[in-house]
Amino acid sequence: MHRTLALLVVGVSLAFGVDWFLGEFIEEYVVRIINLCGIAIILAVSLNVINGLCGQFSLGHAGFMAIGAYVSAYFTTTLRVLNTETGETIVRAPLFDGAWGFVPALLVGGAAAAAAGLIVGVPTLRLKGDYLAIATLGFGEIVIILLTNFDSVGAARGLPGLPNYASSFWILTFAWICVVGSVFLQRSTFGRALIAIRENELAAEVMGIRVARLKVMAFIYGAFFAGIAGGLLGHLLRTISPSTFGFMKSIEVVVMLVLGGLGSLTGAIVGAIVLTVLPEALRDVEQQAKLPGIRMVVYALVLILMMIFRPQGIFGQRELSLKLLRRVLPARLRGGDSETKP
Amino acid sequence: MRNALILAIATLALAFSGAGCKDKGNEAGGSGATEDSVKLGLFVSTTGEIATFGGDTKNGADLAVEEINKAGGIKGKLIDLRFYDTASKAEEAGNVATKLATQDKVLVAMGAVASGLSLAAAPVFEQNGVPMVSPSSTNPTVTQQGKNIFRICFLDDFQGGACAVFAYKELGKRKAAIIRNQDDAYSTGLADYFRLKFKALGGEVVADESYKKGTKEFASQITNVKAKEPDIIFLPCYYNDVALLSQQIRGQGIGDDVPMLGGDGWESANLIPNSKGALEGSYFGNHYSPEDPSEHVQAFVKGYKAKYNTAPSSLAALGYDVVYVVKKAIEDAGEFDRAKVRDALAALKDFKGVTGTFSIDENRDARKPISILKVQGDKFLPVKQIYPQDVK
Repeated sequence: MHRTLALLVVGVSLAFGVDWFLGEFIEEYVVRIINLCGIAIILAVSLNVINGLCGQFSLGHAGFMAIGAYVSAYFTTTLRVLNTETGETIVRAPLFDGAWGFVPALLVGGAAAAAAGLIVGVPTLRLKGDYLAIATLGFGEIVIILLTNFDSVGAARGLPGLPNYASSFWILTFAWICVVGSVFLQRSTFGRALIAIRENELAAEVMGIRVARLKVMAFIYGAFFAGIAGGLLGHLLRTISPSTFGFMKSIEVVVMLVLGGLGSLTGAIVGAIVLTVLPEALRDVEQQAKLPGIRMVVYALVLILMMIFRPQGIFGQRELSLKLLRRVLPARLRGGDSETKP
Repeated sequence: MRNALILAIATLALAFSGAGCKDKGNEAGGSGATEDSVKLGLFVSTTGEIATFGGDTKNGADLAVEEINKAGGIKGKLIDLRFYDTASKAEEAGNVATKLATQDKVLVAMGAVASGLSLAAAPVFEQNGVPMVSPSSTNPTVTQQGKNIFRICFLDDFQGGACAVFAYKELGKRKAAIIRNQDDAYSTGLADYFRLKFKALGGEVVADESYKKGTKEFASQITNVKAKEPDIIFLPCYYNDVALLSQQIRGQGIGDDVPMLGGDGWESANLIPNSKGALEGSYFGNHYSPEDPSEHVQAFVKGYKAKYNTAPSSLAALGYDVVYVVKKAIEDAGEFDRAKVRDALAALKDFKGVTGTFSIDENRDARKPISILKVQGDKFLPVKQIYPQDVK
């Protein structure tokens, strides 16, 4: 317990420090990409619990994001609804006013996504593999269709004017919580049980693991953080619409996982960073080369080459650690390392 | 494992710290102009779902920049156009806006086409005090995002209202039916405002049917519409849906005395061939008509055809106009200063563009007429211009 608290304090102060550092010394454009990286990390790491650790194939992450984004925005944003009969606009002030309302709004958004995770998880997690993928894909589409028909949150037009609350501080804090939480989870009995389910569901059940229950719990955990990430993304973009959370968004997160190595937490982090930074970094290449559209070609090419030459992803199921680095480094360097030691 | 975490966080923080350090010394002077050039930004989607719209807009803007630079630039400075693709994604629009505002430090930014993308970019420009002019975002909320956000096209509410005025006053229609795409913000916006205005004028909306994105078979909607015997059918949809809808409407025996009416989404070279004659005698509102005989429009059409070998769409015309609007504003401001250019944009009066003569109103929207075009043979003929004061 003490350790958890200490880690939280370390995380918050670190986020605070980095937030100050970024604001003071780093260009706004770079800060924005770092913020997007933070959100992508939350998404990838939380999906890794479902897809990587537990071995279920979910394609519904964008649906959970949409729920988190819309629910949190519902509390923080001034809503304007046009009455199509009279032509009047009904204005509703934010329910949680001010920046301190942001965290409760985010948590409510995350909780709503988790509740959706429970509702979806119970019936669908009986399915396996492709069937589960299709069921969760359907869930994502249902969320989009519902949002498209809710006039109070702007229907197809979306919801503009979200307040500017998603600072680097909050994004990095939640990314830290998500990553540290997932590390704990991975090492706990719960995490081991999830891995057992991934490796062999039948054997796991024989060993006394309550498979159905644990799968739903993993699903709820992933959905909660997807909801948080959706809320953060909405408040960073300052406008949300159903199309932002389409099927392609889910795919993007899955690609991050596969690139990093399905089942590897550090892989998920690296995959999230690479796939967020790459399209932006290639902008300058595109400008220099004077080849419009080359950005997307290179992006796709990287993914294709990766899957041909390293189908298990950058890290496979391994984790990146200093121990691994030391093993990979050439012997000469390692030798030099030990020489400096007294 | 802990080491790994520290490493990950460190990578995150330091990944670009070398490349992206704040350039504090240059902030005061960063108003987008150097000795002999002025930096303008353009951000539209040339890839993704709405790539054709962005591509046309960019072509129009490129043509204008080429013309201006050939004629000596703006107040003696050549335009250095920084273009970025927003890939039809809100995240990318926000990123590009940040890049244009803080890294390229452009004087004025132009874009985006889709309202959803303009809404993601607008807060960034507003925060950095960079004037943003959207060529074609029609959602009313776009310019409500701040005093630096402008647009040079008409709005969904005006367009919907203008169609209602045209149907009621010019065509003398009293019973309208609407068939809308419920998944599309543009379609529902137009439908809502048409409905409001038509009822306010004294007409009756006898049917208001909706369909889902991707529908190809509209029999049930059309049956409901036919039962109510409307004298005009409003189709606020894009041309591909309109082509199918119109054939099925005529196929179900709703005669030529019930014309169809729509908005600028109808405009496409494919509309007439795809609808196989079903739209003959129908009307739609548009930003301009390439058939407009005025010298200014014909010069633009000729220049565009020479460069791209195709007739310019409305989006190309708006892309062309937006560059000239910015040029005019910079000349009016007299200085290469963001705040002064913003004020000049806000005060823009009677600008003569290829999409009509317009002024910027107190909401930073363009007050301009809509051209109602009639489908006749293989041409769109301009029949009527409706002005904002007609719809009030």
